[in-house]
Amino acid sequence: MSAYGIGAAARGGRERPLGWWGAAMLVATEATLLAVMTATYFYLRFKNVAWPPRGVPVPTLVVPLLVLGLLLAATTPVCLGVRAGRARRRAATCGWLIVALVLQAAYLALQLHQYAHDLRRFAPSGSAYGSIYYTLLGAADAHVAVGLLLTLWLLAKLARGITRYRLNALEAISFYWYAVNALTVVVTLTVLSPAL
Amino acid sequence: MTPAPPVERLERIWAPRPGVLGWLTTTDHKRIGLLYFWATLVFFGAGGVEALLIRTQLAQPHNHVLGPNAYDQVFTMHGLTMIFWFIIPMTTGAFGNYLIPLMIGARDLAFPRLNALSFWVFAASGVFLYTGLFLGFGPNAGWFDYVPLASRLYDPGRNIEFYTLGLIFNSIASTLTAANFIVSIFKCRAPGMSFNRIPLFCFAFLAASFGLLFALPALSADLVYLFLDRNVGTHFFDPAHGGATLLWQHLFWFFGHPEVYILIVPAFGIATEIIPAFTQRKMIAFPLVAIAELLVVFIGFGVWAHHMFATGIPTVTLVFFAGASAMVVIPSTIQVFAWSTTIFTGLPRFKTPLLFIVGFILFFVAGGLTGIMFIAIPFDQQMTDTYFVVAHFHYIIFGAAVFPIFGGMYYWFPKVTGRMYFERAGQVSFWIIFAGTNLLFFPMHIVGLLGMPRRVYTYPSGLGWTIYNVLETIGGFVTAAGILLLFGNLVVSYFRGPRAEPDPWHGPTLEWSVPSPPPEYNFAVVPTVSSAYPNWDAADRELDRQRLAAGAGVLDEGPEQVVSSFVDGETQEVVRMPHDSPWPILVALCLSAMFAVLAVEKYTVAAFLGGLLVLTLVGWHAKEPEEA
Repeated sequence: MSAYGIGAAARGGRERPLGWWGAAMLVATEATLLAVMTATYFYLRFKNVAWPPRGVPVPTLVVPLLVLGLLLAATTPVCLGVRAGRARRRAATCGWLIVALVLQAAYLALQLHQYAHDLRRFAPSGSAYGSIYYTLLGAADAHVAVGLLLTLWLLAKLARGITRYRLNALEAISFYWYAVNALTVVVTLTVLSPAL
Repeated sequence: MTPAPPVERLERIWAPRPGVLGWLTTTDHKRIGLLYFWATLVFFGAGGVEALLIRTQLAQPHNHVLGPNAYDQVFTMHGLTMIFWFIIPMTTGAFGNYLIPLMIGARDLAFPRLNALSFWVFAASGVFLYTGLFLGFGPNAGWFDYVPLASRLYDPGRNIEFYTLGLIFNSIASTLTAANFIVSIFKCRAPGMSFNRIPLFCFAFLAASFGLLFALPALSADLVYLFLDRNVGTHFFDPAHGGATLLWQHLFWFFGHPEVYILIVPAFGIATEIIPAFTQRKMIAFPLVAIAELLVVFIGFGVWAHHMFATGIPTVTLVFFAGASAMVVIPSTIQVFAWSTTIFTGLPRFKTPLLFIVGFILFFVAGGLTGIMFIAIPFDQQMTDTYFVVAHFHYIIFGAAVFPIFGGMYYWFPKVTGRMYFERAGQVSFWIIFAGTNLLFFPMHIVGLLGMPRRVYTYPSGLGWTIYNVLETIGGFVTAAGILLLFGNLVVSYFRGPRAEPDPWHGPTLEWSVPSPPPEYNFAVVPTVSSAYPNWDAADRELDRQRLAAGAGVLDEGPEQVVSSFVDGETQEVVRMPHDSPWPILVALCLSAMFAVLAVEKYTVAAFLGGLLVLTLVGWHAKEPEEA
């Protein structure tokens, strides 16, 4: 670096790469989107006397919380994968990411099953409750689906070796997952709130 | 004189692809800025024609230039075009893209390909919106598109689909640009440019970018709800099924009020560049002005319900929002006093750019005063939906947001083209536009007080409104003539103007330290910075020249760029930047095709195109940057 003669020497590898900052911007704007939708949920809730409206069952607590637990459990392997990546241990990185991917995919599959179950009982076009219920949950789960695609892409890249670029992608995508997990908790608790 | 060998290497590394292909695949922030500029001018022309059509229709009572249906589409399109396809892309897309990297001493933005994607998405969104208009499905429920008027029941055509999808599409472009600006200003500054040395122009764009990043999601959510209500049968806005009509307004204005400041804050930024250059004096109260620029946008997020004083929400809420709105006066006044005191205590040269800034300050104060009147809730309830409101926001949006854009066009013209404009014609154009604008918008105050409602396609005679409407229409055409003179001046200057030196104004910031027009790589040597007005630090610039002669700090081993620390602007690492890529335009094509088929309810095809979009994104990331 001193060959460039531009003052301060480069710091160690602990500073965030540009890609992480890009992911932070994405998370900032997407978190706002989900916050707005959560606010919509409560706005509509307080405009209605009966919530959920008559004929629509109150959501159950146990199964959705267990399913959410699957997604949250994936946080640990993601975190371990990042550590392995920083230590440039490729096999361990890929292994942990696959463990996470399985948990996250299982979460999404069970969510889809839950939608199918719910749709038999109430539709988005039945009432404002149904409209925001499916839109809010669907928006959160769309972020999970995007995360799965990102992880798949990352695994395909990492299978061919670890580079600085791929490590940056790992940092950015893991940050995306932490944020999506936190947002999904908020969203799930919001749609479960009538049962709380 | 032969250029030093490092510069030759830079020329080779950063050389663009030749011809049209070079423009289609460019990732150069200057070229993208120019693309934004030209595209935006086309939309400005369209919005201007719509404005003149409105004024022609209203020139006389019982006029029949436009029927009610055509009038609804034209005034809606005028508002949408001017806000989303002219002012935002002109300030952020054109001015911000071109100037921010030059001002922070960078060779490009943090994400050059994302920047190209932003432009192509923006261009496609405009084509999409205007396709709707030419098919007879132009949005027709006003730019704020209130439900239930915009619901399927009262607006059964496809008009509103072009509104919802066009705006979601447009928001994607704005969000990409905003994120790019924030990361660039945070992370790509020249060595020594600590946070307190970032030019005020960049602070303003930082504020606008944060505004876009956090305000647009509210609009997007609202648009998604409306699209679902109209096409899937959901009930977000339908009180008969538990929905709420006011939900639309809350979310729209939660976006819409920050939006007003997103429009105007870049204008503040342009003013804080032009004023120091033409008074040869640093801005007074630099930290206060920087904070005020950010604070205006921040407070802007807490005032949205002042657009809803007449909707019947509880008085307690109204009073809170009136108080919050009054708070905006504080950062605004700080800036007005800082600008005018800098001019009074400096050595002002009233060249065309500074004239436009003086005009801007006058309009901003006038429009601000009528804005304060609206804080009084009973006054607002009386005046809402009259021409008084139209007068107020045109003083702010045309007088205060667009005047600095015109001033900035003159100010940076020599930098971008390497030619000088004609000063006398420039000053004449200012006076014509200034007189025309006042003639156009001042009578609207009076006619509004007389009770003329907005958004009516015609009005009866005998109410005392006619004379004012005639004056407004004359003012409209005078303004248009002035704007034509402005662009005529710039076009003739481009071909015939005298050659410009690199720094004709003795400007304060780094863009004036490089040749006009700037080379592809912006800076031959990475500049070092020790104040917020680096081009006035002669010793630093001399040091740059010495380092260039010695070949130190040139970064010529590839398209390289410095990444700096967040607060202190210390160099952390050197990264390789992407350079020329076909992927942004391909991704934009997939995305636009997807939105187009959504508008005609072909959901399977849309899903297929979504898959194609994912594939293009994989292609985008196939080639990795070389390890530096």
